[in-house]
Amino acid sequence: MTMKTRVVSLFAIPLLLVACGGPLQDAAPADGPIRVVATTTIVGDLVRTVGGDSVDLTILMGAGVDPHLYKPSAGDVRTMATAQVVVYNGLHLEGKMTEVLEEMGGRGVEVVAVAEYLDPKALLPIEGFDELHDPHVWFDIELWQQAAACLRDELVRIDPDHADGYRARGDAFIAELAELDGWVEERIGSLPEARRVLVTAHDAFEYFGRAYGIEVRGLLGVSTAAEAGTADVQQLAAFIAERKLPAVFVESSVPPRYVEALTEAVAARGGEVTIGGSLYSDALGSPGGPAETYVGTVRTNVDTIVGALAE
Amino acid sequence: MELFSDYTLRVVALGSGVLGAAAGALGSFAYLRRQSLVGDALSHAALPGIAVAFLLTGSKAPLTIMLGAALAGWLATLAVGLVVRRSRVPYDSALGMSLAVFFGIGLVLLTVIQKRPDAAQAGLESFLFGQAASLLREDVVAMSALGAACLLLLGLLWKEFKLLSFDSEFASSLGRSVGRLDGLFTLLLVIAVVIGLRTVGVVLMSAMVVAPAAAARQLTDRLAPMVALATAIGVFSGVTGAVLSSLIPRLPTGPTIVLVLSSVVAISLVFAPRRGLLWRWISLGRLAPSAALDPVLMHLYALAQQHPGEPDHGHGIAVLRTMSPAGVDLDQVLENLRSRGLVERVDEGLWAPTAIGRREAERHLASQNEAAS
Amino acid sequence: MARESSPALEVEDLTVAYSEQPVLWDIDLVVPTGDTMAIVGPNGAGKSTLIKAAMGLIPAVAGEVRVFGRPFAKGRGEIAYVPQRASLEWDFPTDVLDVVTMGTYGSLGWFRRPGAGERDRARAALEEVAMGAFERRPIAQLSGGQQQRVLLARALVQQAPILMLDEPFQGVDAPTERAIVAVLDRLSDEGKTVVVVHHDLQTVPEYFDSVLLLNVRAIDAGPVAEVFTEENLRLTFGGRVGVLAQIAAAESGG
Repeated sequence: MTMKTRVVSLFAIPLLLVACGGPLQDAAPADGPIRVVATTTIVGDLVRTVGGDSVDLTILMGAGVDPHLYKPSAGDVRTMATAQVVVYNGLHLEGKMTEVLEEMGGRGVEVVAVAEYLDPKALLPIEGFDELHDPHVWFDIELWQQAAACLRDELVRIDPDHADGYRARGDAFIAELAELDGWVEERIGSLPEARRVLVTAHDAFEYFGRAYGIEVRGLLGVSTAAEAGTADVQQLAAFIAERKLPAVFVESSVPPRYVEALTEAVAARGGEVTIGGSLYSDALGSPGGPAETYVGTVRTNVDTIVGALAE
Repeated sequence: MELFSDYTLRVVALGSGVLGAAAGALGSFAYLRRQSLVGDALSHAALPGIAVAFLLTGSKAPLTIMLGAALAGWLATLAVGLVVRRSRVPYDSALGMSLAVFFGIGLVLLTVIQKRPDAAQAGLESFLFGQAASLLREDVVAMSALGAACLLLLGLLWKEFKLLSFDSEFASSLGRSVGRLDGLFTLLLVIAVVIGLRTVGVVLMSAMVVAPAAAARQLTDRLAPMVALATAIGVFSGVTGAVLSSLIPRLPTGPTIVLVLSSVVAISLVFAPRRGLLWRWISLGRLAPSAALDPVLMHLYALAQQHPGEPDHGHGIAVLRTMSPAGVDLDQVLENLRSRGLVERVDEGLWAPTAIGRREAERHLASQNEAAS
Repeated sequence: MARESSPALEVEDLTVAYSEQPVLWDIDLVVPTGDTMAIVGPNGAGKSTLIKAAMGLIPAVAGEVRVFGRPFAKGRGEIAYVPQRASLEWDFPTDVLDVVTMGTYGSLGWFRRPGAGERDRARAALEEVAMGAFERRPIAQLSGGQQQRVLLARALVQQAPILMLDEPFQGVDAPTERAIVAVLDRLSDEGKTVVVVHHDLQTVPEYFDSVLLLNVRAIDAGPVAEVFTEENLRLTFGGRVGVLAQIAAAESGG
């Protein structure tokens, strides 16, 4: 082989590999479950509950993974491209996946952003950003009921063969959520007014606060990708000391450092605050534990909150 | 100073100050050895070190992180040394490559790690740009201990590092092991870099190593004052950044420190006496007569001498251009001479010295002859 | 005693190569004690390389160096080195006295600081090279000749019996040249051994006792009168010698 032939062959190899990759979209088996990819465990739980056996579900982010920071790998992109439906939260919760998700839409994959089906008037704005909304909608159970309804309708549309199953499971879930909603209201209501303050690492709980009458403060703002400044820590520490709060909370998917720094600052001010527990904010708990489902997570969170603040 | 009665500010300011001091002091020697890029390479290389330390131990303890970062930085310098010795690649190219490769590996590791359930808790991403406001007491204790050790060693080895930076060959000829000294210096630099990772992060750390030294160099011509100034500038930037971040909400501390530092450097570069841009611009106006301007006047005078009795015999710019070095802007120089009454334009494109100009030229020649004799 | 009877410097089979290209090939050289020797040769002949390799500053492929009969590792303290001034970064924040004081670092350990005694020695060396008034001058403000004299003073401070200088006369002004020659004379009177890489053939007979003609290989070495011949110069420089050869021939009485 001459030098030139070798060089050309070298270039040909990657081209061949790409060509032999085959079509990215395989046709769905006629009666089998549809392939669905969900981004977060929370969205995944919704899909699994409503979809049941009719969906073959893959969840990209595991327990404890922060969706604000998650960057999709090439493997993730392939998984999404070979699925029939991709379900995600939307409203920029999966902040680093926006482009990829848009591209999926272009490739003929059905893309469903559950939070974006909600009525914008029901959404909370983000301070300082007029066009954007707080994406943590699942903390308001009523809103999540609406999301479940939307997903149910979308699945019916995409996969009409299994429509009955989707409707049945979807409606059952919405009923279960109604019951959960009542339970949460009662529990939070049992706290004395002065104690109804929830301080966490980032502003994930605004919807929770609005729905159940509890004041909410986060250190990092709506996205964990931001960095808190010294003033933010100081102001929050002053707030906590002033209100004599007994507990603040770390989150399972956010580094506990900030909250630890917060407690040190409060201690220096003579306050006595402890870390009341770890809340599941942007992800569900580990599989096999009590918090592996959405309902389980909500119950665990509320128990933790009420338990710590009632002291 | 009731500002500093606030605990958080004290912690953050102390940590940032220690970082500024170590980076400023060691950065001075890196600067003088023309090795400022090494600080950049070391800090970027620290990223995979942090990731691997977490993967292996699952711990987020400050010392574990710092050890991982330090080892990775060390490996990076070894890699650079290897590349330089075994190939024709020049030193700063090898540094740049090492920086990019290690940092790339670090980012890949972060993407891999992010799938682990405990990853978000570790907050490894925060090492990219730092999270100064989350400094805990245990962090600052570790940083201060390391920083003090660094500065102490620097003080003890002062003359060795001075010798190493100025004339490493001479150091070798005295029997000093240059390899060992270089290794020690790199180690101290690694420690300084590692101190800063939580505060300003991997990406911005290079600024902390380079900038205080660059600013200090403009302000003095002696080594001890330069290092002292660089240390002071580092501390000042760190503390001021912390203070500003505590006064203005939503202002991240790490980047603010670097911004303060950059402002100091900019001011120093422009306003420093003797070396500063402003100074040189002003003094060029004053010194110019004996420097760039006289040659053109002298050329015109010499040309005029060839036409005695014809004071208005002008000569064109083209002729002057052949007599002047390439970079001289003749139009500007002639304009300047004309405004000072030394030359005049006798005709379109033709110039001659004025009577005053001739006298000046003669005086200059006379003084030159005197000096030579 | 071995020291008195051994020559100051002995080089045997010294070979230096850069990526398999020989730069110095099989050099044998004996520098008698008290000698003032010039090393001359064309560009790329390996003159600086010889000094640096002899001092252990660059690695040699082969060869051995002995100082007063002892292996180099033991005898290195007996040699003071003056590098080419162009190889240094003069924009360094320090002053003249400080640089000269660096010559005393060899006698201090790693942790001792130079004291008044060291600085006085430095001052004395500066006086010798006629730079006494420039103690506090920042080295960035020195002219080429002044730089050279400072480096020489730094070597003098070491008070070593052997000095090796790399192109000290390169691009210096007349006062500096005079000062350096005065120092060489003084050193010679005191029985010190001096080896100088020299570029100016014209002054070889005037300044030096012996000469090494070098062009990757050692062409010849020995007393100037014997060795500095037209024939040898042609062998070293390859025929481009002309006027200088005539001078050399005249000097050696040929």
